Amino acid sequence: MGQCLRYQMHWEDLEEYQALTFLTRNEILCIHDTFLKLCPPGKYYKEATLTMDQVSSLPALRVNPFRDRICRVFAHNGVFSFEDVLGMASVFSEQACPSLKIEYAFRIYDFNENGFIDEEDLQEIILRLLNSDDMSEDLLTDLTSHVLSESDLDNDNMLSFSEFEHAMAKSPDFMNSFRIHFWGC
Amino acid sequence: MSESSASALPAGRRGRQPFVHQDSLSLDSSYFSSPPMNFLQELPSYRSIARKRTTILSRDKQSDTLLKPTDSYSSQLEGGITENLNSQSIRKYALNISEKRRLRDIQETQMKYLSEWDQWKRYSSNSWKRFVEKAREMTSHLELWREDIRSIEGKFGTGIQSYFSFLRFLVLLNLVIFLIIFMLVLLPMLLTKYKITNSSFVLIPSKDIDIQCTVYPISSSGLIYFYSYFIDLLSGTGFLEETCLFYGHYTIDGVKFQTFTYDLPLAYLLSTIAYLALSLLWIVKRSVEGFKINLIRSEEHFQSYCNKIFAGWDFCITNRSMADLKHGSLRYELRADLEEERIRQKIAERTSEETLRIYSLRLFLNCIVLAVLAACFYAIYRATIFSQEHMKKEIDKMVFGENLLILYLPSIVITLANFVTPMIFAKIIHYEDYSPGFEIRLTILRCVFMRLATICVLVFTLGSKITSCDNYSCELCGYNQKLYPCWETQVGQEMYKLMIFDLIIILAVTLFVDFPRKLLVTYCSSSKLIQCWGQQEFAIPDNVLGIVYGQTICWIGAFFSPLLPAIATLKFIIIFYVKEMSLIYTCTPSPRQFRASNSNFFFLLVLLIGLCLAIIPLTISMARIPSSKACGPFTNFNTTWEVIPKTVSTFPSSLQSLVHGLTSEAFAVPFFMIICLIMFYFIALAGAHKRVVVQLREQLSLESRDKRYLIQKLTEAQREMRNRLD
Repeated sequence: MGQCLRYQMHWEDLEEYQALTFLTRNEILCIHDTFLKLCPPGKYYKEATLTMDQVSSLPALRVNPFRDRICRVFAHNGVFSFEDVLGMASVFSEQACPSLKIEYAFRIYDFNENGFIDEEDLQEIILRLLNSDDMSEDLLTDLTSHVLSESDLDNDNMLSFSEFEHAMAKSPDFMNSFRIHFWGC
Repeated sequence: MSESSASALPAGRRGRQPFVHQDSLSLDSSYFSSPPMNFLQELPSYRSIARKRTTILSRDKQSDTLLKPTDSYSSQLEGGITENLNSQSIRKYALNISEKRRLRDIQETQMKYLSEWDQWKRYSSNSWKRFVEKAREMTSHLELWREDIRSIEGKFGTGIQSYFSFLRFLVLLNLVIFLIIFMLVLLPMLLTKYKITNSSFVLIPSKDIDIQCTVYPISSSGLIYFYSYFIDLLSGTGFLEETCLFYGHYTIDGVKFQTFTYDLPLAYLLSTIAYLALSLLWIVKRSVEGFKINLIRSEEHFQSYCNKIFAGWDFCITNRSMADLKHGSLRYELRADLEEERIRQKIAERTSEETLRIYSLRLFLNCIVLAVLAACFYAIYRATIFSQEHMKKEIDKMVFGENLLILYLPSIVITLANFVTPMIFAKIIHYEDYSPGFEIRLTILRCVFMRLATICVLVFTLGSKITSCDNYSCELCGYNQKLYPCWETQVGQEMYKLMIFDLIIILAVTLFVDFPRKLLVTYCSSSKLIQCWGQQEFAIPDNVLGIVYGQTICWIGAFFSPLLPAIATLKFIIIFYVKEMSLIYTCTPSPRQFRASNSNFFFLLVLLIGLCLAIIPLTISMARIPSSKACGPFTNFNTTWEVIPKTVSTFPSSLQSLVHGLTSEAFAVPFFMIICLIMFYFIALAGAHKRVVVQLREQLSLESRDKRYLIQKLTEAQREMRNRLD
């Protein structure tokens, strides 16, 4: 796996990325390093792209059950540019604000991309979370019905964005779990 | 988008009936299958929310001003300038970086339309925010043990990480307490003693106090055995007793500097009050976040399914084994929750005679629990009395081990009691037939109470010994002067011994139990018995109780032994590294994992209970028991608290009358009544809000039903039209 042309990032670019994302200097430089290691040889880092498979196999995402959804949400036209990777890292960084995380969490959890999290999506989420072969129907329907009864305020068996936002604002673990520290190789 | 998403199931899933909500079954259910998705996405409400989230920008071609095409509220924007957009909130937009650049460029061109004042305001607020951020980034590097805790979080999960964060918090708390005591009490003394400043001690001879009360025999036997230094170090007697470690060293009434006289007794008392108040405020501040979230919750259960499913996966996890463990623990947790729900339903369906039987059984078992507690307290009481009585024998009359045993007898009994009672409680609670979650909480609560109450029993035993005399000697000085010429130092010594013993036990358990267990399990894996015993799991509740116990001792002891917080800081630092090593080398992650949000609240609650239990003996000893006349800064006062009234009497008379007014009943009773009224008002307000929330929720679901009905009608009408046209 070759490396991109090893250009140091310009100071102005670094400042701009710091202003536009929630990442710190060190985090941006670390991602820059990782990107350089993975991208095809001979290209300038601002023009190079990574495939979704390459990003999925980063240590940060390798064991994540939602990695395919994460890649779908953050990639543009099926590939990741450097700025796409930065945008992804910014959403998952510790300093990111809750509204941004909730927005992207909604997009990630909306498997069928219809703008709502319906029972299908919920069942898919539960299956990915539990990752077991012997899943009984009752367990799935029980859990789905519990989630809906807690957060579906208008009783339409789906979670719209506002309902999801409302539920995540009340959830104490959301900010702690929805973050990724380390993006290196 | 599919016409009816309910029936379009992805491949690989068995066909299933769409889940129809209970409410909708009341009318004809064929109307109420999920409405077509494309209609829902055309609704204005959906669109406006979607636009608000992504703020897709467009330029008005004529005037080149920013038009935010959100909803009908665009009339607000006719002023031309969007408010509150500055570069910090650019990051909050859910756009990719190139779109954010465009937005920023638009904002900057917009700035031209602002007045000079607004421009300058915006510029200065931006630079201030940038400065604050850089400062925060730099201070985050100073955070103690940041890398260690991060790596623990990655390997063992957030529950165990919260234990180590808690330990770090206690290290900082103890350090700050020690700094307060150092500034207020130690510094003037050291400055004078080592002649750094030109100051002198003020010693006011005590009047109308019997000369017998001021006798303080420093025990110095002629022949000192070599091991007596070791015993002195472990028990605080001998050469340590006169050092600044203990209360007795501070037998000074003031320090005279060039321009003023520093009132040391007042400073000593104020430092105690200051560190207690600081601890209380800091703990409450830290626990407010967890508490706020609990208050917002409207459901009865402590844990919600939403939280566990949407925030269940910890995105920090990077290795495979930890991921498998997380999957396993999620399976366990969700199944346990559903099981708990089933049990709760079963409990609700109990017949009345079963209920009676269960309640009488519970009453009986609670009596047994109280009996066990009483037995432990009595054992501690006797052990303390025995130890105090026999400590007075001379060292050379005793064998080395026997001496240490007697000195440490209370600590040993306390540790044994704390070891045995959790096992008894765990056995008893099985018969009480509670739901599993409640069982765990009640057992932990009982263990917490047991641990913290043992210290109180020890201190009260000491207190009773100090104030009880068998002959008339108590009237002379107010306390048992013969046995305890300087009783505060002796109480300080007991606390010192407890702390040292606690540290020794933790080190010993790690060295002699955890590591051999790990070695046995790894190398003798053939034996069935050893496999049964299994590998060590990091038991969070026990460990947390251990360190809260240590902190309570520190709080009580800091008044009697001013250097004790420094010793506590060192002790907690040692415990951090020992526990970290034990965790990494001997523990496996347990299948049942604590959640960090739960844990933080639980730890701080237990710590708060410890603080409240520590304040009780301190207030009693400060206010009721007369201070020693032979040593310490309060020789000229009846009790420690008397410093404050005497200081108030030196204030100017207007201030004096103000203070007297504030502390009188004429002020306190109306004040209390007003506070009660305010509290009732807020409770009534909260009740009213809750009712409004319930009504709004009902209204919301009714509106949604209407919406679905109308969409259904519309779809049918469309279909009919299409059929007619065909």
